[in-house]
Amino acid sequence: MPSLQSPQLLLRVNKPARYLGIEINAVHKEPDQFQVHLALAFPDLYEVAMSHLGLKILYSVANAVEGVYAERVFAPAPDMEEVLQKENKMLFSLESGTSLQDFDMVGFTLQYELAYTSILTMLALGGIPLRSADRGVKVPFVLGGGPLAFNPEPLAPFFDFFVVGDGEEVLPEILKLYKEWKAESSAKGRDDFLKKVAGVTGVYVPSFYEPFYREDKFAGINPLAEEASLPVEKRTVLNLEEAPYPCSFIVPFMEVVHDRATLELFRGCSQGCRFCQAGIIYRPVRERTVSKLSQQAKDIINQTGLEEISLSSLSSSDYPYIEELLEKLEAELDENIRLSLPSLRADPFGVKLMERIQKNKASGITFAPEAGSQRLRDVINKNITEEEILEASRDAFRTGRGHIKLYFMIGLPTETYDDLREMVKLVQKISSFTPPKSGGRGNKSRVSVSVSNFVPKPHTPFQWEQQLNIPEVKRRQLFLRERFQKMKGVDFTWHNAENSFIEAVFARGDRKLAAVLEKAFTKGCRMDAWSDMFSFSAWMQAFQAVGIKGESYALHSPSYDDPLPWDHISTGVCKDFLIREHQRAVEGITTGDCRWGNCAGCGLEACSKQNGKGEQI
Amino acid sequence: MERFRVCFAKSGMLKYISHLDLQRTFLRALRRAKIPLAYSQGFSPQPRVVFAAPLGIGIEGINEYLDLFLTRQMQMELLEKRINKQLPMGLIVKNICSISLEEPAISALIGAALYRARLEMDPGSLQQNIGNLLSAEQLPKERQHKKGKKQVDIRPFILDLWEEEIGGSRNLFMLLVTGSSGGARPEEILELLQLPELRKGTILTRESLFFRVGEKLLTPGGAAYNNINEVKAWREKLL
Ligand code: SF4
Repeated sequence: MPSLQSPQLLLRVNKPARYLGIEINAVHKEPDQFQVHLALAFPDLYEVAMSHLGLKILYSVANAVEGVYAERVFAPAPDMEEVLQKENKMLFSLESGTSLQDFDMVGFTLQYELAYTSILTMLALGGIPLRSADRGVKVPFVLGGGPLAFNPEPLAPFFDFFVVGDGEEVLPEILKLYKEWKAESSAKGRDDFLKKVAGVTGVYVPSFYEPFYREDKFAGINPLAEEASLPVEKRTVLNLEEAPYPCSFIVPFMEVVHDRATLELFRGCSQGCRFCQAGIIYRPVRERTVSKLSQQAKDIINQTGLEEISLSSLSSSDYPYIEELLEKLEAELDENIRLSLPSLRADPFGVKLMERIQKNKASGITFAPEAGSQRLRDVINKNITEEEILEASRDAFRTGRGHIKLYFMIGLPTETYDDLREMVKLVQKISSFTPPKSGGRGNKSRVSVSVSNFVPKPHTPFQWEQQLNIPEVKRRQLFLRERFQKMKGVDFTWHNAENSFIEAVFARGDRKLAAVLEKAFTKGCRMDAWSDMFSFSAWMQAFQAVGIKGESYALHSPSYDDPLPWDHISTGVCKDFLIREHQRAVEGITTGDCRWGNCAGCGLEACSKQNGKGEQI
Repeated sequence: MERFRVCFAKSGMLKYISHLDLQRTFLRALRRAKIPLAYSQGFSPQPRVVFAAPLGIGIEGINEYLDLFLTRQMQMELLEKRINKQLPMGLIVKNICSISLEEPAISALIGAALYRARLEMDPGSLQQNIGNLLSAEQLPKERQHKKGKKQVDIRPFILDLWEEEIGGSRNLFMLLVTGSSGGARPEEILELLQLPELRKGTILTRESLFFRVGEKLLTPGGAAYNNINEVKAWREKLL
């Protein structure tokens, strides 16, 4: 037992099961079995980190590389942070209890902006200098990957390099390169390795680039080294069928957020919702076959004993062979294994699928119409009609479901109060449908409405849009709340407006924001996604201290000609396409899903269907 | 349907997982071991596995019990081997016996538990303090409930306390009432005796669980003692 995981530490915190590191399928290696020690870090609590598929894929991929040992390190809960500080102990890895500073590399998953302060917390608790410029020879390399690596600028000074795109091919390449370098040329210093790794497609070394500003506004980025390519191209695993997949998922002791096994039906999504970043950065759509998936399902159950498998993707009813897959899984798996479909289209087909897999009706069904009016749904290119939503809801109630959950967004481009009124009307209609007699929820609500705030994300057609200011977001929330409160059987939840503001600032941020981040961290900000931890006033003080206005990022709509802080990172989708989609949005013209219909001309060279050049359709 | 009683130990790092975690961990191990579990009826069928009594975080248990309902007969050695192959380090099945389906739920029968605290630091003489507790009429203890604090008299829950020297070090044994209709937690006794708590390094073990039938104490595995003194005598024989 590593001394760090001693009773003196573990019994002083809530949920010590977070820190044991000996779950089934956790990998343990002896020191003589590896030369490269990698910490896979996730800047959130165990229960969130262990729900993340990407981390599990990388864990198994990295541990399969000869001479590499990959372990997990997660953000300590506040009580553990306090104990570590009091006892003067370092943040440790779960499997072997190694201090973060003793690894060769620390790789962070970059999943949401509100976890940025937790990254700094983990570096500090792990004994690693925050800024890469201050790191000496013996300090681990800090790398980051995940969706936010598509605009890593606010994090640039804290990271040695980023990995843009799918990680499962590029990570082994990096590890092999490092192993050679460590054995042969580590005496040449950190920069020598960074130069080598910069040559790997998908790797971005921020210290090899220098942004410049005009009148304090971001004006572009200059490469400083020969090795610095422009743009940095993302990595794509084209053959998902043959890509490694971890059927021996680690089985947590404690309950985690997604306490189930995951099958990844396909990666990417071509529906083309204009607010959605995942829909751009994960292009093109790549599928796995039914036979591969059913084999993986059996392997996962055999190796984990989990009781539920989630059939996951960005939009699972779009998997062309979904019914065939369900049939095969039902036939081949133990009848007590539950299946779940997390992201269904709000249409009758979605309800039909749900009907088929979920015998327990009390658990309800979730739809995401995103916008309340047809006009606004056309603007955001959410290709679903009111008729479909209503029919799906009616079907859901008729077949015995007692509860429908609806996701909407407010503050979308062009939104007016009329669109909000339409949302209210839509919910009204749905809640007026007769629910089943025995819904199993007693007096509880039949319809839950959850409203989040629009965040304009980089690389989307809405990157030229701005966020609503906080007072206006609150006014619209109040407008909705007053109306939903009066409706019987409807409950209403909304996202914190200040939270979404910080998210927007950092989503669209440039390198100057790093100073704000560091300031916020020293003012005690961490785990900002947890409402009980979030302190807006601390954030405001941080902005003020650095002399930067968050508004100039979140509430600013750049013109098409303005250089954007993420322009040097390429998703493969061309800017012309994004501009075209933005213009069509403003005009309320929809664009069809290129999976079923014509190529929409996004310019993606890696797409087998494309007419490639991003020509006008 | 068949019913088996499984005696297992929870120790090492696994003493830090909660009772719910233990249930989840066991069920997943049983599924990996391909044990033909019987399921309850209804909309969300649950595997029929019944644990005898929850064990607090940080306490190890060396004779814990659960009842397993299977859809078909299985050879007990095979069952034990298959389960043990799938349990994480820190959990181990010690033995399995067959039980009549007619018997009441094991969790409803549990009435007492024997705990052992290893006293790492020399606490001085305990005789006096133990004597005081045992001769007290009442021992009011404040307990934190969901709805605020509540005073509970825990004296009736203390069946006996005694000290034993094992391999040169001192141990406190606590035979306490436990189960669905109330009981005392071993940590409460440590506190009353002003002994260091778990996080200060005291090692606490649940040595055995008992059904109570009048004066008699019966282990779920089938051992029977006519009274507390026989339990003590059995303990002494182990030395
Ligand atoms: S290239 Fe065409 S078919 Fe391929 S993802 Fe882009 S729009 Fe769709």
